[in-house]
Amino acid sequence: MRNSLSRKAGVISASAFGAILLSGSVGNSVFADGLPEGFKKGDLAPEPAAEMIEAGKRVYFTKCVWCHGVDGAGDGPGADRLWPRPRNFNQGTFKIRHTASGELPLFDAKKPTAGQNDLFETVTHGLPGSAMPSWEGILTDEQRLQVLAFVTTQLVKDRKFTDKQSETQTVLQLGDLKPKASNEESKKRGSELIVEKKCIECHGTEGRGDGNAFNLKDDWGFSIQPANWHKCWNFRGSRQDPYNVKNIFRTFSTGVNGTPMPSFADNTTVDERWDIANFVNSLCERDPEGNPLPIDPLTDKPKINFVVPSDPVEGEIPADIENEAWQKAPKRYVAMGGQITHKPRNFVNRIDDIWVRSLYNDKSVVYLLEWDDRTKSVAEGKLPWAPTAVNIDVKEQAPKTGEEGSIASNQNNYAVYNDAIAIETPVKWKDLPAPIKPRYLFGTNDQFPVDIVKWEADGSIRAFKGTGWDKDFEERDTYEENLKVLKSEWKNGRWYVMIQRPLGNKKDQDYDEDTFFEVGQYIPTVFFAWDGHNGDAGRKMAVSAFYYTFLNPPIPRETYIYPVVIAFGVVLLEGWVMTRRANKKKGKTL
Amino acid sequence: MKALMSVGALIGVIGLLLLVGMIFDIVPSNTVRLVEGYMPMQMLSELAVFVAGFAGLSYMMSAMGMPIPRFWQAIAFWAFILLYLKFRVYPPIPFSVRAMYGTVSLVAVFMWMSANEDDWRKFKQPIMNVLDAQSGTNKLLRYAYLVLLPILIGGFSYNAMKPKSEEPIELRTVHPAPPASTKVHGKTYTLQTSQNPYRVNPEGKYDQEYTNANIVEQGMGRLMKPNANPWDQNAQGYLKYVREGGEIFFQNCHFCHGDNLNGRGLHAFAFNPIPANFTDPGTIAQLQETFIFWRVAKGGIGLPNEGFPWASVMPPWEQHLTVDEIWKVILFEYWHTGYYPRTWD
Repeated sequence: MRNSLSRKAGVISASAFGAILLSGSVGNSVFADGLPEGFKKGDLAPEPAAEMIEAGKRVYFTKCVWCHGVDGAGDGPGADRLWPRPRNFNQGTFKIRHTASGELPLFDAKKPTAGQNDLFETVTHGLPGSAMPSWEGILTDEQRLQVLAFVTTQLVKDRKFTDKQSETQTVLQLGDLKPKASNEESKKRGSELIVEKKCIECHGTEGRGDGNAFNLKDDWGFSIQPANWHKCWNFRGSRQDPYNVKNIFRTFSTGVNGTPMPSFADNTTVDERWDIANFVNSLCERDPEGNPLPIDPLTDKPKINFVVPSDPVEGEIPADIENEAWQKAPKRYVAMGGQITHKPRNFVNRIDDIWVRSLYNDKSVVYLLEWDDRTKSVAEGKLPWAPTAVNIDVKEQAPKTGEEGSIASNQNNYAVYNDAIAIETPVKWKDLPAPIKPRYLFGTNDQFPVDIVKWEADGSIRAFKGTGWDKDFEERDTYEENLKVLKSEWKNGRWYVMIQRPLGNKKDQDYDEDTFFEVGQYIPTVFFAWDGHNGDAGRKMAVSAFYYTFLNPPIPRETYIYPVVIAFGVVLLEGWVMTRRANKKKGKTL
Repeated sequence: MKALMSVGALIGVIGLLLLVGMIFDIVPSNTVRLVEGYMPMQMLSELAVFVAGFAGLSYMMSAMGMPIPRFWQAIAFWAFILLYLKFRVYPPIPFSVRAMYGTVSLVAVFMWMSANEDDWRKFKQPIMNVLDAQSGTNKLLRYAYLVLLPILIGGFSYNAMKPKSEEPIELRTVHPAPPASTKVHGKTYTLQTSQNPYRVNPEGKYDQEYTNANIVEQGMGRLMKPNANPWDQNAQGYLKYVREGGEIFFQNCHFCHGDNLNGRGLHAFAFNPIPANFTDPGTIAQLQETFIFWRVAKGGIGLPNEGFPWASVMPPWEQHLTVDEIWKVILFEYWHTGYYPRTWD
């Protein structure tokens, strides 16, 4: 309801804006001399006032210095455990711009206008998918302009924003360009163009950022990876509006300075760029009706529902994802954070979400887990410790900033272990008074253990009993025959794994060791994921919060009967009220 | 009187237009910002202005010979409150809470309507008219209600009875009672008497007043005091320790608690309960420094049962940090948020 209303309002305001734009752009030819299509010459902004720079210094040393460093070299105390790393301002290289490749971004200390002040917008909206937060509501507009005045004049050292000799401004006129309708034809052309323009060499054939994943470095020699087009909420320039096709068009037209992502302004027409942007935009995850996922404004990520519903099926559970039962099963987004509670900690978790579907029959429950991982990792050597050991003695690397041997420079040089996924459910959860559960990380104690089913990329599936974060796993030797991997496939940057396990009940299974999946109950469930190329093994991994597996019961008969009874009761009540009123008017009392 | 009422009416109309704009997404919902920390007062005064506006509006309408019937006044006011809660308040509040406020305001509207006999009669009139069905329209309405009501209520009850898998509600105590003392790295700290050893003046003496004077300026966009830069090469004592605490914070804590200490860090979105927001006046501003020390040292595992230790991903920081480092981080957190720790007296 609200959507359709706001859409109408949107159409009205958009057409109003369109009328204003049209009236303003008459006489403005799209082709200027020697400029790529859609660009226009711009002027350098004047230098900000000295008081502004001085005021900005205070803002910088309160808020920004912690990541960007005293000299703005992107080497603050927080920098080394961040990936992507904070921007080094010294060279004046900025990623998100409306200006041509290699040019400085738009910044005018007097003009906080959307679309005309790249740096101001970056600070205002943050850079989703990185540690840069949105400063809106934390710093005033004035303070944001002040700090930028300081950064652009004092910390950008190799270039000058006001130097007319060496700096030019060629500005993408994004406000004047009307997005092309995103129809099948446009998307199809876009899908052909990304092959022709070699986008897939880095971004992968399905656009999951899995092409060339190890050889890419930024201008400072730190490893970076191409964007995953299926997670538009992680697009750095999405300005907290991830499904807006204009963001993709801008990035594609201007390139991303400091990275291998070039500008395509010179070898594509505006029309072609819209086709590509439409296609890339269409890849982003959507709901079954094709609508954008609701994004949580506080986190810039899809909103989370902590219940993983499992639908009942008759007979065998299909192993084929294309099967109707799987296609109809609700798909849930499970957010993953780095495990930074116990050593070895994982500050840079490369798996930030997984998608879960589930089905069950009278004997088993099956989880279909899908997650993006740019590399298929199968262990090359042996793990340095037993796979059941969790309490290993690890020395943590000091967070030195960017030097040799630092975390950042090691980013792609880890020993490769197995990619893996695990599902943890508490045993004897029915004996625990709700809402108490065993601890999310490997349980609490012997009395209430957790049941962990772990699949690894070498094809193995194992079951463990966890009794606490600091205790080694107990491997359940005899249980594996009850488990089954219905499917495991890595394709173009995505894992598809289907794990089947028994429902578990007192008759067939060991109730003291095995989770009992009861229909219509909330069974606490935690997911763990390991990226083998990130050096993930043991407790270095990505973790989720507690979710709930909920086996959907078939709809009981009462659901159909009672509402009819209630409706009939309402009819009787109406009759009574009306007779009473009529009698009262006639002067009779009941 | 009339001039006053006209001004009231004007304010009412402007306010309503803004709200409608927010509902239809024409006006961004943060146009007039609700500032963290001042939000309750801001909302109360806003609502007061609205009520004044409505009173003026209603007066003007009657003066122009188009009085709004009591019945519709009540319904419109209730609808206004529901819409205000849904579309104006940011960050959004959950439906269960809105339902609670909605019920309370429904009761309030009834009390307002039944305050005197005359009003109550006027309020009831339209309902009675439909019941008596003296005119054609009312007759039509009556039959429509007769048919629609059972269908609607039957539908609602079907919807309510259908098995649903909504997240179970769990009530967690955010600040459980601390223990009398806590043992960290083999040493026992009595929470009532312990002090942050880094709250010192440049001479190195414990000095609450000196450190308070150097805490950042309060209010939106909190900034360090002029000439109190912890990154100054010559910074000694308190300010030097603030910098060291900040370094530790940004190497360990900001992944969850955020660059702004507002609980919106890189990994925060994945966790439930969400990490604490230190800029909220309900967290560290309400607590003693030693309480924070206990929470930081023991982490989620150290919580009593009502604090849901099983779900918290807060590390027991004594595994990663020394006692000194923990105190420095706490020092930094108060400096950066601009709050003073509560004292025991």
